[in-house]
Amino acid sequence: MKQKIRVLIGKPGLDGHDRGALIIAQALRDAGMEVVYTGLRQTPAQIVHAAIQEDVDFIGLSCLSGAHNELFPEIVRLLKEQQAEDIIVFGGGVIPQEDIPFLKEQGIREIFTPGTPTQAAIDYIRQQARPKQENWLEPPKKIAHIGIAVHSIDQALPFYTEHLGLRLEGREKVESEQVEVAFLRIGESRIELLEALAPQSSIATFIEKRGQGIHHIALEVDDIVERMNTLHEHGIRLLQEQPKIGAHEAQIAFIHPREAHGVLVELCQPKDSGVAKNDE
Amino acid sequence: MSQHHFTQIYEKWQQSIDQKLKKTPERKGTFTTSSNIEVERVYLPKEVDQEYEEKLGLPGEYPYTRGVQPTMYRGRLWTMRQYAGFGSAEETNRRFRYLLEQGQTGLSVAFDLPTQIGYDSDDAMAVGEVGKVGVAIDSLADMELLLDQIPLDKVSTSMTINAPASVLLAMYIVVAEKQGVSSEKLSGTIQNDILKEYIARGTYIFPPQPSMRLITDIFAYCASHVPKWNTISISGYHIREAGSSAVQEVAFTLADGIAYVDAAIQAGLDIDQFAPQLSFFFNAHNHFFEEVAKFRCARRIWSNLMRNKYNAKNPKSWQFRVHTQTGGSTLTAQQPDNNVVRVTLQALAAVLGGTQSLHTNSRDEALALPTEESARIALRTQQIIAYESGVTDTVDPLAGSYYMEQLTDEMEAEVAVYMEKIAQMGGAVAAVEAGYMQREIHKEAYDMQRKIESGEEIVVGVNRFVLENETQPDLLRVDPLIGKKQTEKLDTLRKNRNQALVEQTLNQLREGAKSTENVMPLIVDAVRAYATIGEICGVLRQVFGEYRSV
Repeated sequence: MKQKIRVLIGKPGLDGHDRGALIIAQALRDAGMEVVYTGLRQTPAQIVHAAIQEDVDFIGLSCLSGAHNELFPEIVRLLKEQQAEDIIVFGGGVIPQEDIPFLKEQGIREIFTPGTPTQAAIDYIRQQARPKQENWLEPPKKIAHIGIAVHSIDQALPFYTEHLGLRLEGREKVESEQVEVAFLRIGESRIELLEALAPQSSIATFIEKRGQGIHHIALEVDDIVERMNTLHEHGIRLLQEQPKIGAHEAQIAFIHPREAHGVLVELCQPKDSGVAKNDE
Repeated sequence: MSQHHFTQIYEKWQQSIDQKLKKTPERKGTFTTSSNIEVERVYLPKEVDQEYEEKLGLPGEYPYTRGVQPTMYRGRLWTMRQYAGFGSAEETNRRFRYLLEQGQTGLSVAFDLPTQIGYDSDDAMAVGEVGKVGVAIDSLADMELLLDQIPLDKVSTSMTINAPASVLLAMYIVVAEKQGVSSEKLSGTIQNDILKEYIARGTYIFPPQPSMRLITDIFAYCASHVPKWNTISISGYHIREAGSSAVQEVAFTLADGIAYVDAAIQAGLDIDQFAPQLSFFFNAHNHFFEEVAKFRCARRIWSNLMRNKYNAKNPKSWQFRVHTQTGGSTLTAQQPDNNVVRVTLQALAAVLGGTQSLHTNSRDEALALPTEESARIALRTQQIIAYESGVTDTVDPLAGSYYMEQLTDEMEAEVAVYMEKIAQMGGAVAAVEAGYMQREIHKEAYDMQRKIESGEEIVVGVNRFVLENETQPDLLRVDPLIGKKQTEKLDTLRKNRNQALVEQTLNQLREGAKSTENVMPLIVDAVRAYATIGEICGVLRQVFGEYRSV
């Protein structure tokens, strides 16, 4: 998995105007991307070769000479020929509005015309990069459970079972977290009530700071280790280096609440992934 | 110096003008305002002091701050020279004849990129580019079509051609020869400024050293064979387009100029033999007063250098003569009609700055090459300034403005700092090779982009006063079959010419290029035999090698 988004900025054809190409290259670098600039006068074959060699995610093409309708599609064609069509191609320059539909049809994914702020290109690349880089990882399957911190499970349970009518599946003490957990089934998910077993338990500190309430959301994932590595590479902070064992012997790990904008997110891989849904 | 001294100078100047006016009078007997107030030729301070005399002087006199001619536009207007060319030679010939009919007074040829980089239209490198940004010229046969029915003894022609400038000039000379016009009578300009190609424009072929040699070969050849030709147009235009400031534009251009002068002197030429044929090419951007001051300070710096550093004796060697084009990069794709207003202001700045010729951009050039209608409005803009505004009735009308004079002085001082830095690096060639100017320009360009994106710099219609739904204007489309047609023409040419003669002249060129012989006559011979631009530049590529950008 790559750390940074890699972009190749290319000048196909004979056009010598590289002010735009240089500005875009620098703006992308300043935005934290790895940028390779090919220099002037590159043939489509040279650009495709360099893109594959440099293992880039994007190719940005700049042309102000009017040769874009010939040169841009040729680059997309060569990428396909080399089985590198996962590289996203975008372009800019003196390109009339009326040429854009043709270029998009030919596989150039976006065209930035004169006057476009560099931020628009940065945003576009980031947007396109996320799903693409994570494609090979399945998205989390479902909400495994929502954890609610309570003073006392005994006191809280009647509301959930008697008034809401949820079914209590069982209670369990999780020594590693120094909590007792009560499981309430709701559809394919659960609500978990959490009671601190010791004053140093994270549930106790949570209640002390913020009172009772929603403590965390757990997402069920397939391969927790892989997932943690990916997040780590994206620079997302985790509260653990390695997964630990939670209720039902599931492997769990927490993401730093700041990353999820104020929510504590738990990743959770059930003990026997294949039959996780029918663990009763 | 005393007032008395200046009075003497002024009287002498006045007498020389009276002499000249007998031969060629000014455009009008008297110039008056709408209120019938008479407009004087030149306005001077009530009391002339030493500072005035040294820094400004009289128009047409050293240091030329107030202009290179004594009567400026009262005598003759600037040359209105619209850069044009696209598609085939026949199409461009039609556009040229149209522009001449519309009152344009000089031609300016835009070549396509393969021509500018010395490739034939059927070269693999030319794919998609044939006829796009200018006319495709492969051989003398195309040049004959391009200049068909255009009287080369009457029209002056500027050719935007750099690395293969010798080849295109040779073609022009041979076409004139066939029209019965001898080369002594030809007037025009080749851009021939390779240094700014490395810095900003990108159509280089050979490395700097052999490129400089080609340039000095042209200087020497033209001094004796084409004496009215401007052998180089040392260009700040593209440096500015690439993002430089006005001060950098002046400094880098003049530093390049010095490099050419040094190279020519090194090649054994006398300063007064070639310096009168040097000309310059500036941009005119948006900051009105700074643009005017730019021209005035450049004239002062150059004349001082030529006269005092290089000891040129001929006053023509001291004169900074300049062609101007309005700023292409200031044009917006958004609300393109607004560009007409931008161009008007920029053109006015160039005129008040005392330009010798002017190209006004068309409103649609941020989108494509100009349509005929847009090109006509651009020309009309110049004509309105020339004939309706009255700014042409007196010389250097902004002189004496506290702001203008101080700005001129301050720019001059800042230019000097840059030029000193480049001199210390070993001159413009060394600075280019080290990528110094390229980096300075890029820094400036990036800084400006950030200011536009933050809203600190306002671009009307782009980051302020934006229109939600823009209508798209009609654009010029180049014939999509032009590449194929040029290839067919080349096939016919290669079948019908005297192949042995072509090979013989190319071999002679190869030998000449290896020696220190002037290659210009050899290129004229090869052109006359219908060798193509790709073949001629191919030979030179083999001998000189190719430049790769840093």
